[in-house]
Amino acid sequence: MLKFLKQVGDYAKESFQAAKYIGQGLSVTFDHMRRRPVTVQYPYEKVIPSERYRGRIHFEFDKCIACEVCVRVCPINLPVVDWEFNKPQKKKQLKHYSIDFGVCIFCGNCVEYCPTNCLSMTEEYELSAYDRHELNYDNVALGRLPEKVTLDPMVTPLREFAYLPKGVLDPHDLPKGAQRAGKRPEEILEEIEREKAAAAPSEDEG
Amino acid sequence: MESGIDLQGSAIQLLVDLGVPTPIAKVLWLPLPMALMLVVATVGVLIAVWLERKIAAAVQQRYGPEYAGPLGVLQPIADGLKLLFKEDIIPNLADPWLFTIGPAIVVIPVFLSYLIVPFGQNLVVTDLGIGAFLWISLSSITPIGLLMSGYASNNKYALIGGLRAAAQSISYEIPLALSVLAVIMMSNSLSTIDIVNQQANHGILGWNIWRQPVGFIIFWISALAETERLPFDLPEAEEELVAGYQTEYTGMKFALFYLGSYVNLVLSALLFSVFYLGGWSFPVPVDTLANWLGVSPALPWVQVLTASIGITMVLVKTYLLVFIAILLRWTTPRVRIDQLLNLGWKFLLPVALANLLITAALKLAFPVAFGG
Repeated sequence: MLKFLKQVGDYAKESFQAAKYIGQGLSVTFDHMRRRPVTVQYPYEKVIPSERYRGRIHFEFDKCIACEVCVRVCPINLPVVDWEFNKPQKKKQLKHYSIDFGVCIFCGNCVEYCPTNCLSMTEEYELSAYDRHELNYDNVALGRLPEKVTLDPMVTPLREFAYLPKGVLDPHDLPKGAQRAGKRPEEILEEIEREKAAAAPSEDEG
Repeated sequence: MESGIDLQGSAIQLLVDLGVPTPIAKVLWLPLPMALMLVVATVGVLIAVWLERKIAAAVQQRYGPEYAGPLGVLQPIADGLKLLFKEDIIPNLADPWLFTIGPAIVVIPVFLSYLIVPFGQNLVVTDLGIGAFLWISLSSITPIGLLMSGYASNNKYALIGGLRAAAQSISYEIPLALSVLAVIMMSNSLSTIDIVNQQANHGILGWNIWRQPVGFIIFWISALAETERLPFDLPEAEEELVAGYQTEYTGMKFALFYLGSYVNLVLSALLFSVFYLGGWSFPVPVDTLANWLGVSPALPWVQVLTASIGITMVLVKTYLLVFIAILLRWTTPRVRIDQLLNLGWKFLLPVALANLLITAALKLAFPVAFGG
């Protein structure tokens, strides 16, 4: 009898606990309703990609020495480097270069290892096409510069969270010239220069 | 108790005065409340769909529909139009008759149940003596339609969805009926009007929610299960069953299911507010308010005001409950089928039975408070 009563009591306790947890969950979702949406309304608004954004790869034909390092560091040997040995010049001559962005995972290894810096990552991410073969970019397509989000009159550019002023959570309607929290890279550089300049005379004395 | 405005009586009287024989006047009046109720049900669904999308978006910190009309209020209409223009496909190996009849069997009883939803003393299509019973019996026709369409689709997901819907409806009908029975026992009537009138005496303190707190929770859980809302949306669990019994449906037939589920949600909320939240009664009785202000409740403008307050109160209570259902949808995870049946048979059923017995005992012991 006592055991049965204990069972009933435990069951009732568990039921109340379950109800309590559901109540807590409801309060969480209810609280979320008063928060501002974080939506970027895409075709009309676009986020400005950060400077380290790994988007579509840009390629400079004239800088390339056809060394094929990009192919070797690529996880799937994706870049196609078509070259021919130019006997009189004793140099490899590049004929075609292509990367298929339908397959590329944008890891950036090729960019990292390119000895002549002829590869670089852009901020372009709108790589949609009606046919997957259209994503196979040849050296001409790879040489095109990306459209800047900030220069498109149809688009409201929005800053990413890390680029907002201190304490601001909403990228809409920022005052002009509002700077992000912390120092900008060029400010840090300037500071280092100044420190160096301040330190230099003392070194001379010593 | 004032009877309030009697639209039916005055309309028929008007027609009779115009020289129409009384029986014909009655026949002329008949379709009006029915058509009005259809419109009310459909508009209620449009609002519920819009609310669902907006609240879901708010909970997930999104905007939700924005471009169709101000704040996206026309979005449900756009959805409906889209479904209307879609091709009506019947799968090759499906049973065309059952496949077509299924959605109709699901939707028609739900709309029929609007017969007994009161918005005021006389603002109801018919004041049936078996009102609550009619609703419960009509709501048990729905699973037949679900099973039919699930079976006729000739699709394993649809079949499992249909079977689950049937199992779920059957197991949740009983606690639902028992909790309603406790309310009926207190008001000594199955009529929804009488149920509201029995709660109307002491304003907010007279509402059944205070006398039936357990029944209130059981009813809400069972109503969510009946309408297949999220903690209990197993029949259409998209992660496991694609869309359950709706998998093979497109176009208007799918729209009927979609409409039916939202009509059912609004209907459950309406009846919930009738059974437990005092229907059209204001937190402070309107007659008392009128007495305080020194106006007679029998004045025509007071009666119109009372009626509109009543309608507003019903709608406010209903959409508050719809809001809670939507919030619950984005809060609670889906239960497993065994958990669902366990909850229904091993928890809700005994608790509902105990609630009924305790209500009966209290009714005998305190006839004043529990409607002797």
